Amino acid sequence: MPSHDAKRASAELSRRSLLQGAATVGAAGLAATTVAAVANPALAATARASAAGQPRLGGERPASSGPIVVHVRNAKSGDIEVFSGTSQSRLRDKDLAARIARAIG
Amino acid sequence: MSSHREAPEISKDPVADSTDVYAFVSPDHPSTVTLIANYIPLQGPAGGPNFYEFGDDVLYEIHIDNNGDGEADISYQFRFSTQVLDPDTFLYNTGPIASLGSTNWNRRQSYDVTAMNGYSYATLASGLACPPCNIGPLSTPDYASLAAQAVHSLGGGVTVFAGQRAEGFYVDLGSIFDLADLRPFENLHAQYGLNVFSGPAAGVNATDQLNVHSIAIQVPISSVTRPGHPTIGVWTTASRQRVRLWDADNGENVNSGPFRQVSRLGNPLVNEVLIPLGRKDLWNSLPPSDDKQFAGYVTQPGLAALLPALYPGVFPKLAALVASGKPRADLQAILLTGIPAGLISGFENLTGSVLADMLRLNTSIKPTPASKQSIYGLLGGDVAGFPNGRRVTDDVVAIELRALAGVTYPLVDKSFTADAAAAKLTDGLTPASVSSPYLGQFPYLGVPYSGFDNPS
Repeated sequence: MPSHDAKRASAELSRRSLLQGAATVGAAGLAATTVAAVANPALAATARASAAGQPRLGGERPASSGPIVVHVRNAKSGDIEVFSGTSQSRLRDKDLAARIARAIG
Repeated sequence: MSSHREAPEISKDPVADSTDVYAFVSPDHPSTVTLIANYIPLQGPAGGPNFYEFGDDVLYEIHIDNNGDGEADISYQFRFSTQVLDPDTFLYNTGPIASLGSTNWNRRQSYDVTAMNGYSYATLASGLACPPCNIGPLSTPDYASLAAQAVHSLGGGVTVFAGQRAEGFYVDLGSIFDLADLRPFENLHAQYGLNVFSGPAAGVNATDQLNVHSIAIQVPISSVTRPGHPTIGVWTTASRQRVRLWDADNGENVNSGPFRQVSRLGNPLVNEVLIPLGRKDLWNSLPPSDDKQFAGYVTQPGLAALLPALYPGVFPKLAALVASGKPRADLQAILLTGIPAGLISGFENLTGSVLADMLRLNTSIKPTPASKQSIYGLLGGDVAGFPNGRRVTDDVVAIELRALAGVTYPLVDKSFTADAAAAKLTDGLTPASVSSPYLGQFPYLGVPYSGFDNPS
């Protein structure tokens, strides 16, 4: 069964900002880094249509100053999830996944 | 249990684990409906110094479907914040807590309430105080009055409370989870040849003297129903953000990403008893509108097949019904669609054809006076009780056991007569098995047990 997250339209995250984050990645496949000023409107909290198991949020808290978390789901295929605030993006980028993999040794 | 620790994953996350949902026309304010969602199961009252509290990182919701599609039309969202006045002491409180504003209360919670209606939302209130946990005569000397201060009237007929309460759900966990033993009938149990029981015994309320955390909201019926459609479907969910990362440098969890549902509860015992182990976690992650895929577990319930095997010779008619393979349309109506008109005189709570596990309440039915209530609800001829919503005192264990055993099957097949034992099934408990009395007013669940006095 495809995941509900896979069904969702993903917002585009700035590849540049992600690369900046990847350059400071820690030592895990689930890599986290704090970027103070990621001013990407696509990552702002939005009231999207409620998919299965995904609540719509009322009175959401600001999402711009928290950590950005990068999850390389599959380094081979370049399947990457990026989380910030209460948003997520999904992208497919083999080169980026490879760079992240190299960054963690 | 109703839904305490009912699925493998959520059993490891008690802060987000919903335990019971209640929905009933408020007996003392019959123009309103009271909705209660309980979380954090099986709290030992003495569980300090870090007493139980809601999760700041959990999104708690109570949902209402008022058009029968199994999707939320109105959702009340509750978000909690914890404040520590003095981080340099290990104490929850540094002296008696006489009021919610007491500076002796060191670690406290407040919450925001938001009403979602479609794509719009309204913040109903912010910074509402929770009460502390009930600690004992020195720390919380007049707990009932203290907790009463945490009942907040928001205007417009809306009243809310969020905090610790006495567990009101009574159930003999120890026997039921010992291979479906029911103490009042345990001499009839097959006992696997072990011959442990020689006669009937009284039930034991395993949840007595334990607490839960309740989120309760009372709202005007007119604000949650559509004109001409008095029946609503109610359920609760808890959601967490997708990423939780332990920040070792700061000694705290960091959360990120969108919220995803990790716990769900509508009708009691559905995920607990009917959904198989391998699908319980999935069930918890989905909305009621996705329940069609689980309908077979309702219409061909495993427990109905087990009863004749575990109690040989007691349920021959149920055994024949199970062997016939006929789907249990009665259970489908009770749990997944509501009961249509014409089956029970003067009653219906059908929401439509969508199969969705929701606690359905026909709000046009007036509350039954306390002296005339039956804890067996509809099965006891009391149309204001479960499965027409659920009151805090309803014996949902006995009601569902009896329904599973075939008592309600004649509603859909008048040629069927249930076994005589089916209508007597019980785990031997009643509301009197709950030591802390239920309240006659909001939030209706009793004063939580204090750590000083419990266990005694």
